[in-house]
Parts: sequence; C-alpha cells; structure tokens
Amino acid sequence: MSTRRQVLKQSLAPMIVPSLVLGQRSGQTAPSDKVVMGGIGIGSRGAHDLSKILKFSDARFLAICDVRNERRETIKSTVDQAYGNRDCKMYSDQYELLARPDIDAVLIATGDRWHTPLSIIAAQHGKDVYCEKPCSMSIEESWALGRAFQRYNRLYQAGCQRRNGANFKLCRELLQSGALGTLTALYANVGPSVNWPPLPSRDWLEGQELPPAGVLDWDRWLGPAPWRPYHPTYVQGGWRNYYDFHGGGILEWGSHTVDLCHWAAGLDDTQPVEYEPVGGNTGPYSVECRYANGVRLVMRDNAWDGALDTGSCSFRIEGDKGWVETGDKTRIAASESIKPLLRPTEPAPVALENHMREFITCVRTRQTPSANAAAAANSHVTCHAAFIAFQRGKKLTWSVENREFTNDDIANRMRSRALREPWRI
Amino acid sequence: MAQQPTNPAPARPKPPVPPEHMKEGAIAKLAGPALVQLLNDPTASEFQKAKACQRAGELGAVEAIPALARLLGDEKLGSYARYGLEPLFSPAVDETLRGALGKLKGNLLIGVIGSISKRRDALALAPLTKLMQDPNTGIAEAAVAAVGSIGSAESARLLQSALPKATGRMQMQLADAALVCAEQLLAAGKRDQALELYAFLSGPKIPRAARLGAMSAIVREETSTKRPRPAI
Repeated sequence: MSTRRQVLKQSLAPMIVPSLVLGQRSGQTAPSDKVVMGGIGIGSRGAHDLSKILKFSDARFLAICDVRNERRETIKSTVDQAYGNRDCKMYSDQYELLARPDIDAVLIATGDRWHTPLSIIAAQHGKDVYCEKPCSMSIEESWALGRAFQRYNRLYQAGCQRRNGANFKLCRELLQSGALGTLTALYANVGPSVNWPPLPSRDWLEGQELPPAGVLDWDRWLGPAPWRPYHPTYVQGGWRNYYDFHGGGILEWGSHTVDLCHWAAGLDDTQPVEYEPVGGNTGPYSVECRYANGVRLVMRDNAWDGALDTGSCSFRIEGDKGWVETGDKTRIAASESIKPLLRPTEPAPVALENHMREFITCVRTRQTPSANAAAAANSHVTCHAAFIAFQRGKKLTWSVENREFTNDDIANRMRSRALREPWRI
Repeated sequence: MAQQPTNPAPARPKPPVPPEHMKEGAIAKLAGPALVQLLNDPTASEFQKAKACQRAGELGAVEAIPALARLLGDEKLGSYARYGLEPLFSPAVDETLRGALGKLKGNLLIGVIGSISKRRDALALAPLTKLMQDPNTGIAEAAVAAVGSIGSAESARLLQSALPKATGRMQMQLADAALVCAEQLLAAGKRDQALELYAFLSGPKIPRAARLGAMSAIVREETSTKRPRPAI
C-alpha cells in the first residue's frame, strides 16, 4: 500500500513540465497571466494606442470590432502581423466581442458619441476599459460613467496619457511639494478656434447615397447620436465640429488639459462653481472658472503652443511662490525661483506607453488607474459646464453638491442629450 | 549644389459646407409659439423639425409638448422629439411618454421607455411591468432598465421576483437594473432596503459581473465612514 507522500510524489511527477515545453521562454509571461484585450472602433488614434499594447509581453490583443469593414481588416492585419499568427477575430457587433469570456479588457477608440455607452456596456459585461477622450457627450453621461464603473467594480482608464508624462508629473510634484507655494490659478490651454471653435455647428451636410451595408453600417456608426443623412465626411473623421457628435474645442481640448489641471492640483473629485465665457466663437476665447476654494481655472485658446514654446496640450500652474508651464514638447517653462528645481524629462511619446502600461498593470493587480472613471467624470463635467456657459453666453454658477446650475434653467436642460433608440446609458 | 525643390504637401481638401437649407440659422432663436408652428408645418423639412425639437428642449418650450409628441413615432425624428421632451420640467411630458407606450413599437418604443427611465416616472411602473414580458427582447430589456432606474421599493420587489425565472441576457439585464435600483434606494436614504437588495444580488445564481458589483457595494457601504452607527 502506498503512503500519502508516495501518492503525491507519483501524481506530481508528470505534472512538472518545463516552461519551454509550454512555449514559455525564460522571462516571458505565462499565457494565463496575460491581459487579453479586444478593441472597438480603432481609427488612427486607436491604432496608436494599439501599437503600445502590441509591445507588451503581458497583454494579448485578440479581437477587433468596427462598423467599417476596411478598419476591421486593417487592424486584424496589424495585429496578426505583430503576433505572427491569424488569431485576431473580427466583429461588427460589439455584443459578440463583449460576450467572449476570455477577453479581460477593451480599448474603445470610437467617435465621442459612443464612448460612454460602450464603456458602460463593457463594464456590464465584466470588462475593464481603456477609453479615448473626450469620454462623454454630456454632464449626465459623465456621471453615468463614474457610477457604472463603481457599480460593476471594473477598472477604467481614460486616454489622458499626460498623467503619465514625466514633464507633467514634475510640474505636479512642484505644486504638491510646496515649491510653488499656495495654488492660485490653473490654466488649461485649448486649441485655437481655427481648428475646432468652442461652438460646433448644428448644421447637417447634404445627404449622399449610403455605401453597401457590408462596407459601412451607418445606423451603428451613428449609434446613440441623433439620426441625420449619411455623408462620407463624417465617417472619414469629419464628424468633429458637429454638435451632435462633438463638444467643440472646449471639450475636445479641455478633456486633455482640464484633466491635467485636476490631476495636478488634487481636484479629481470636484468641479468649479463658476464659469464665465470670454470672447467669441472665432477666438481668442476663454472660460474663466473658479473653484469653491477660490482657485481659478482658465481655459484659454491664446496660449496653445504660444510664446513659451511648451507645445500642444499645455497647462500652467501658478502658486504664490512661482509658476510652471509644460506641454507636449516636454520643455518646462518656469519662474526664476523654480528653474533650479527642474530636471530633464522623457520625450513626449513615452507618456502614452507609460499610460497604457499603467492600465495593463492595474488590470493585473486590480489597483485603480490614475485616469479612472471618477476622475474622468469630474474633469468632463467641468468641460461640459464650460461648454454650456459658452453656448449660453453668460456667467453660470454651479452647485457641486446638487449637480445643477443655480442661475439658469436652460443650462440645466442642456446637462443631458437624448440618446437615439435603442441605446441607453 | 543647388537645393532640390521640395514637393509641397498635397493640399487637404476643404471640408464640405452644409447647404443653406440645412443650416440651423434663425431656428436657433425661435420662441415657443414659432417652434410649435414649425413643428406642425407639414411643409417643414426633417432638418427644420429636428432643429426645432432640440431648440424646444433647451428653451423649455412646454407649449411644444403636443407637437413633439406627434413626432415620437417618426423613424428619423423620434429621438429628436425625445430630445425636446426629456428636459422639460412638466408632468405633461410624463403623461405624454406614458401615453406613447401603448402606441409605439420596436426601437421607437424602446426610445420612449428610455426617456421614462431617465425621468424616473414612478407612475409608469404598471405599464413597464407588462413590457418586461414583451417578446421583443430589446423592449423587455429597456423596460427592465427603466424599472430599475425608477428605483422604488416596488421596483426592487419586481426585479427580485423576476430574477430567479430569467436566464441569459435577460438575467444579466435584470441584475443590472437591480444594481441601479439599489443605488437609487441608497441615494433616497433607504439604506436598509438597498442593502437587502445588494444581499439578494450577492447570491450564487446572479450573473458574475452583477454579483461582484453587489458584494463590492456591500463592502463599500458597510465600511463607509458615513454609515449609520449605534450610539455609544
């Protein structure tokens, strides 16, 4: 009769298999430890995100969903080429992709109109989400996004990669260490109105003949946005600057730089209480905001890659002892007192890789990513409120507690947009 | 060596310009009565009516409610009509949306259920309960979500009684709606009812994503510094 120890020894012996036999080379991540990802709506920006995912040995991208046949084929080809196989599956229905139990997380890089509904649907299916910005189309969607990711206990990372950019981090550190003194003002630079003005067009383009359904599913492309006749310009990226699809320059760029201001100043859980639009739709323009603690937030289009040569998507922090300003050129401009504290930082493209790296690591460790849904909700509510103030052409006051404007009923009615059936949040 | 001339980058084509008849123009400034006139005008284009709906909603033109209601059954303009109706602070909107439940079909009905869900009209619970049994799964799922969004004790009871009999995607929708319902109960200060619902949703037969969500909510609530505590 065998002893328990002998039985265990006999049964374990054949189970010990060298990792090389399993196709796992020294230092590589076991297949079971990889974060399995799919992507929905991967255009040019999404392809940039995807290129980072494909670099990580602990991530595997296995599925693409797109309403455009050409994009499905392109992404599949990219992924298959990177992995040297033909495993990337293509879908035109997001529910089929999300129903796959092997997929842990999804990259969402559709047009803005889809960002919140798709993110919530993904969370309902138990997926973690990396979603490009702007993350929402309205104040209501922003709150719904934050609630949903808390509800399903899923992880969300907004594509605000500058939170993982060394030059931006250094500016934040200078504020948080007290080197800048007491915070007085934040400046979120927004792109010049010649690109996307603060007030997008509410017009339509003349309808054109729809392409065959196999080439483009126009109904699904529109998704939750209100119906309008098809025009190829929208599908080719020209949807921006149309109100039904876009929040204008304030949301487009504010989702980048207001987000930075909130993160740097530890304001990820709140919004300003005042919003005053200055200037016109052709620029220069700004929205002057104030938080309850008196700190100013200025969204302005006259400092985009301007005299300080800090590059696009720049932001500025002012304290009573000094100031810093930085952007995508990674150069940090600073007041004289702060200059001795500066140090060289990484090139800008590293930020995106760091940001995606953070997401993948968080999916594995279940830690909360830096650009999480609650933070995204607050920064986007701020941008939407500023956008509404600009549309209303008047100073608006906002109750953070009641989540409503206190001096304008029309502004309150603009907090949400009806979603086209059958979509909901 | 002479510098080689460089080929200039090809000029990007100018974006197309909206035609005159598809420019919002003066519609953005119309007052309530003029919007009603435009919405009722049989010669007005889809574009004009779409813009009038959006303007009515933002302006708060309650006089446009009947005209907006007539567009709820329009395949292209139905969502614009709801855009106009949803933000209006008037019980007449809720009556209108409830009235539309018995008239519309398919996606248009789903859209109206969505608007009722957003407005959290508790008087719609009875018709929504019937629609939870609709053979069109999209309609049934929308009704379930609306019941959860209304977030009353009766909503919780309805969802709890439906969950054990459901399977597949409907089971997932019911569990989702119940999570939303629990959030609404919490927000309304009905903590005990909310925790009871979360405990129900923590059961082994509940779909995994919702079950984990419920468990997480219980932990969050029970460890919150704001939780009610007995006096010492």
